[in-house]
Amino acid sequence: MLFITIQHRIVPMFQVLYKGDEATSCIKQGVALLFYKIFFAKAKLIIKKNWGEQEMLKKIICFAVLMVFLMGMVSGCGSKKSETVKIGFIGPLTGGNAAVGMGLKHSAELAVKQANESGKNKYKYELVVVDDGGDPSTAVSAANKLIADKGVVAVFGHFNSGCALATVPIFHKNGMPILVTAAIHPDITKGSFKEVTRIMTAANVQNEFAGNLATQEWGVKKIALIHDKTDYGKTNATQFADTAKKNGAEIISEDGISVGQQDFAALLTKIKAENPEAIYFGGVATEAALLKRQMADLQMNCLFLSDSGIISDTFNKIAGDAAQGMIAFNIGKPLEDLPGGKAFIKAYDDAKFTEPHEAYGHFAYDSANVVMAAIEKAGTTDKAKIAEAIRATNNYPGVIGNISFDDRGENTLKLITPFISENGKWIPYYKSTIKVVDKKVAKQ
Amino acid sequence: MTIELIVQQILNALGLGIMYALIAVGFTLFFGVIEVVNFAHGEVFMLGAFVALLSGGILTSIGLTMGSVPYFLGILVLVLLTGSIFGILLERFIVRPMRGAPDIMTLLITLGASIITREAVMLFVPNGRNPQPFPKLFDVDSINIGGVLIKPETILCIILSAVLISGLYYIIEKTTFGRYIRATAQDREAAMMMGINVKKVFIITLALGSALGAVAGLMNGLSYGIIKFNMGFAAGIKGFAAAVVGGLGNVYGAIAGGMLLGFLEIFVVSTVPDGSSYQDLISFVIVILCLVFRPAGIFGERAYEKV
Repeated sequence: MLFITIQHRIVPMFQVLYKGDEATSCIKQGVALLFYKIFFAKAKLIIKKNWGEQEMLKKIICFAVLMVFLMGMVSGCGSKKSETVKIGFIGPLTGGNAAVGMGLKHSAELAVKQANESGKNKYKYELVVVDDGGDPSTAVSAANKLIADKGVVAVFGHFNSGCALATVPIFHKNGMPILVTAAIHPDITKGSFKEVTRIMTAANVQNEFAGNLATQEWGVKKIALIHDKTDYGKTNATQFADTAKKNGAEIISEDGISVGQQDFAALLTKIKAENPEAIYFGGVATEAALLKRQMADLQMNCLFLSDSGIISDTFNKIAGDAAQGMIAFNIGKPLEDLPGGKAFIKAYDDAKFTEPHEAYGHFAYDSANVVMAAIEKAGTTDKAKIAEAIRATNNYPGVIGNISFDDRGENTLKLITPFISENGKWIPYYKSTIKVVDKKVAKQ
Repeated sequence: MTIELIVQQILNALGLGIMYALIAVGFTLFFGVIEVVNFAHGEVFMLGAFVALLSGGILTSIGLTMGSVPYFLGILVLVLLTGSIFGILLERFIVRPMRGAPDIMTLLITLGASIITREAVMLFVPNGRNPQPFPKLFDVDSINIGGVLIKPETILCIILSAVLISGLYYIIEKTTFGRYIRATAQDREAAMMMGINVKKVFIITLALGSALGAVAGLMNGLSYGIIKFNMGFAAGIKGFAAAVVGGLGNVYGAIAGGMLLGFLEIFVVSTVPDGSSYQDLISFVIVILCLVFRPAGIFGERAYEKV
């Protein structure tokens, strides 16, 4: 009893002071010593009374051997029953993205709880949670904390691309497998490190998807590009244009605008004169809304496409009536439309967490499950073997669908959803009554 | 370029230029009469837009329907009033205590007033951090005349500005009070000796200039349908640029400067490849060129007349 209490209450306390396993063994030794001292004193008295000095020494040796043997039995039994393996979660639990981070954390906790309760696993899992604060420098020290914990065999998490970009080289250097959960920057998997995999779809995929959809499905041939000159907007526009060009479309113009600029009448008048079939805008909501409004003023009704940065209520509010028919592409898919979505929502609700799972909870849930499945398959706590096993994940049935990884470590299952603004709301294109027909949006 | 396209762009330029001109007039009046550069002038532009947005509730509660002419006039009066009150407060609490202090002090304190106003709007207007949609006061679509699309808002703005500027011309040139303003601008001491209440002239000048700036803010909301707490900064810079180009202190120079800026911006965007990248840069380039080659502005020779 005492031993169990120590393991559950005191060990975690010591873990803060010492690092990982050292703490456990340190305490075990301490406890053994304590037992030994108490019994030794007691035994010495009894033996001295009954048998005398000579005999006492023999008995003491016997007793000590017995104690050591017993201690070994106890700790040995503990590990054989079901070895506890620690997996690390790293995410923004404080700061601006804390709400999303808490959703990720709870979803991961749900996955671990379910795995431990299922009774099918070789190992028992324990989730070690660290906070990256949404800030790269905090993320680096959090990552180091996980690496220093000798019991942690694999890590997953991250919502902010900046954090993931900062920690990925560190995890790689220390041979710690990391499954990136919700950060989308393409460069995260750039190094093709064998420890680094990603479950979320990378940012560039949405633009390639958009380029293919516009040119192949909707038959757009003449495209005008506008971007807000930021890294984000320009990259999106360039990637969209590259895919469109590959499919034989013509980019008739490329214009930059400034964030905060209001007047686009001259630019749009110029573009209108060139008769584009579609305009692609790389940027965020306010400028997109102003462009859409001023397009309506100039009675331009060509397709207007954009990136995930404009999918917000701000766009619909500012663009007003003109918002109708705006198309934007986003990573992911509405949760309820995913294969395991409904089951996940139900399990999450039943678990009665204080915070909602937010937009990306199911990715953390899948990440935790993929990591645990890989550890089971590897059958060892060797990090290199676990990293290999994660990478070898083949058609794992997650909430988002069947998960497999390619050579770079990217999920081969790409989730991109086109959205359309209909009656002041963003609706998945496949659910909308407004459709693109003959390069125009119209109600069906 | 077809003729329709050119006409369309000219219309765009007029709409833009007239707004810059209205802001520039304030800058030039303050500099000409009071000899201050008022950096808080951009904020009255922003306040005008926000008052127009928030006064909608008051006007509907007294029975005016949105989209009607009295409704619009009501908003216009409220905006003009707000602008004037802001100008008067500015004179009383910012400019007057600083009289006699070095110019740089006045400049800095108006900058401070500008920051306070901006942050106050951000904090105290509900959801003030985010851009606010500005309602369409008139529900009329663009009119198509021979391939040229005319936005009713643009026409309204041009007419409104023309009326306001003529009003200003009338006040300055035809009324006794205008004569006081001109006299103060020419020579403050002499005007005082002639018995002109210079204090009153200062107050009225700031009220007049600020009221015009506030109307420019209303026009901005009407044309673009969006207002932000930080919109005053960019507008202030452009208005100041227009005033400098026209010759600080010269009202007609400010109008010409505003128009020039509007036309140049549109010209660059419509002819230079990727010109829209530089739209906001143009005003700065012009100011620098102007300061290098013609420091007194376009109407510089008549600078001694000031107003």
